[in-house]
Amino acid sequence: MAAGDEEVKSLSLYNRTSTLGGIYFLLLVNRTQMHYFILIMPTFLVHSYMVWGIIVMGLLSQLNLMMLSKWFTSRYAAKGYQGFIQLFGKRTVQIFAILGFLILLPKISVITLGYVEMLHSFIYPSMNKNWLILMILLISLFVASHGMEKTLRFVVIAFLGGVWIVIMFIPFFFPPIANYRDLYPLIPTEWSEQSWRGLLFIWSALSGPVYLAFMVPWLSSNKKIMKYLVIGNMLSIMEYSFLFIASVLFYGSHYLSKINFPLVYMGSYIQTGGLERIDYILISFHMFTYVFDISILLLCFYGAGRIFMRKMNEQTTRIGLLSSWFVILISIIFMNHWLWQTVPGQKMLLNIQIWISAFLYLLVPTILFTAVKRKESM
Amino acid sequence: MVPYKHYSLLAIACLMWMAGCSSPYVENNMIEEIAPVVFWSVDKGTEGKFKISTLVPPLIQEKKRLLTKEVDLLKQGGKEFNLIYNRELKQGQLRMVLINEELAKKGGIEKLVNTILVDPDISMRVYLLIVRGNFDEYIKHQLTKQENQDYFLYRMLKHYEDYNQGEMSIVNIHQFMKKLYSPLEAPILPVFRSDKNNFNYIGTAFFQEDKEVMVIQDVDDEIFQLLDNDHFLKVLAIPKLSVSLGRVRSNVRMKLSRDYSSLSLHVGLNGRIEEYQGEKEIQSEEQLEHVIQEIEIYLEEQTSDLLKRMQRWKVDPLEVGTHSLKPFSKEITEKQWLKYWGNIKINVDYDIKIQPLNNVERLM
Repeated sequence: MAAGDEEVKSLSLYNRTSTLGGIYFLLLVNRTQMHYFILIMPTFLVHSYMVWGIIVMGLLSQLNLMMLSKWFTSRYAAKGYQGFIQLFGKRTVQIFAILGFLILLPKISVITLGYVEMLHSFIYPSMNKNWLILMILLISLFVASHGMEKTLRFVVIAFLGGVWIVIMFIPFFFPPIANYRDLYPLIPTEWSEQSWRGLLFIWSALSGPVYLAFMVPWLSSNKKIMKYLVIGNMLSIMEYSFLFIASVLFYGSHYLSKINFPLVYMGSYIQTGGLERIDYILISFHMFTYVFDISILLLCFYGAGRIFMRKMNEQTTRIGLLSSWFVILISIIFMNHWLWQTVPGQKMLLNIQIWISAFLYLLVPTILFTAVKRKESM
Repeated sequence: MVPYKHYSLLAIACLMWMAGCSSPYVENNMIEEIAPVVFWSVDKGTEGKFKISTLVPPLIQEKKRLLTKEVDLLKQGGKEFNLIYNRELKQGQLRMVLINEELAKKGGIEKLVNTILVDPDISMRVYLLIVRGNFDEYIKHQLTKQENQDYFLYRMLKHYEDYNQGEMSIVNIHQFMKKLYSPLEAPILPVFRSDKNNFNYIGTAFFQEDKEVMVIQDVDDEIFQLLDNDHFLKVLAIPKLSVSLGRVRSNVRMKLSRDYSSLSLHVGLNGRIEEYQGEKEIQSEEQLEHVIQEIEIYLEEQTSDLLKRMQRWKVDPLEVGTHSLKPFSKEITEKQWLKYWGNIKINVDYDIKIQPLNNVERLM
């Protein structure tokens, strides 16, 4: 009997025992915006005046989140899958699910490959990358297998594991390496294609919270959540601009554009009397954010798969989760093999990822907002 | 209970297996089998080759020897050392890269440094030095006299780097590269002279387009420490005026005119007289004032002279060019700036505040 009990519980990945409150919203918004892109951000922005870009894009993202909060507090969102069906109809939801399935795959792959690349080049340069991919995915599978609710709760650990890293960058603001004139000009004197791409990049880096729209059943649909969304986003903007200014001071604009992982190299420059390679510790702690990101996306991925296979009314199965995990593993290994290892391939994947997430961040809140508005007025 | 333990067991088994048989790792870092490298010394070899050398094994109770190879590429040298030595050399502990002055004058330090930067094992805090003379000979000779000479050299550099205590320009790879890439800054490196018995600091080298173009020594170097590098000198000895100032702290203000035609350099110095061998009675207020004025004039002359030489060589290690950056205007290019820099009119002004000797007859 005990075994049977075990079986039933382990299969219900999407069960819900309680809803997560406002502070979780704050942490979720913040952590989903701090994944791989934050590490390479300074290389895309380069010029000191792009800090205004971060602020402007952050404020736009604020508006976007307000639209999203309209969805969070609507009665359709709380119903989860049924709510989506009421809004769009079964067919459309299925098509959305297929689209989501196709979009999630490159997203998970880019995040994982990005982190693995960093691990590979800084800590295990001679190790076969596939082992690293396997390890990260195994850890994420472990977290995801606890079900959606516990995975969402994992954000607290991810936040505590990651947020203090910013503190380590404070010394870069003080001489001798810092020269405040590196920050000039403050106002863009010329505007190029690269600057536009920088803005697009910031927008897509901020796009993490989009996935929260599909996790509303586990989150509370309290009216007050807007405040938390806004604070979470604010926190990300502050972290973005802090890290960016630190890296401009450390490298200067001209050198910055030539470095591939500016923030990690800065981490390796930090030194204390007792410990020399602080970057190893920083990279390892950063893993919490990645594991959280990947496992939550893995659950989304499985969920999307269930919708388009029309299995929403059946129980979740371990085989189901494992097979979606395998799909991801295989896709990552193939992407690594064919695309990521060459410079043009890597650029292409990154660009695809940037465009897709930027579009999603623009479309999803707008679509949900208008759909809710229309239904309500009907 | 939920069978999470299956997953965790799987993970643990995986980890144990990975740690146990080392198949995913190619590298082996067993401490008995490796020898960390503390410095590379790079010299010009025959026919455009590099001559690189290092000391092995560092920090182990074992007789040391100097390995030297002539190679085309830096990394090739590291590899060839492994073939002639019975341990594997690892560069994770690399602390110093010594470059021969001949090589620095020829240019191409950027490429050497890039080779080192590509390797994530090596920290960006590796010190870069220019060596005039033959460093290998010095090390070889020291082996019989003092053990761990390589480590002591590193400690010396670290000592003078910390807290900006003046005396030496110590530069690491990151600082060098940042200045190299910034259009309005010129990289600097310390220069050491070396022969069979000595290895000593002589001054600061300035670089332009990746080539060493000038070296400043003695008083000029001391002025440079005050103006840009540390803004502090433990001792500023002026033999010409028979006076030594101690604990000198400087406060530099630069004002560049809007059309880049003139620069006014104002240096405030604070310190104390630690020694006086001259004729004047510095116990008297009037005479002390006179001595200070002499020092001011002397330093002003020396500084203008130094700056004029920098202008002639078209180097700007004091980063005067960065003062042309304004919050709201466009950055000027390196070429434009150097053209302005060559013709700029410079007005140097020293303002010295000095306490007289301590513990001797006081001022009334």
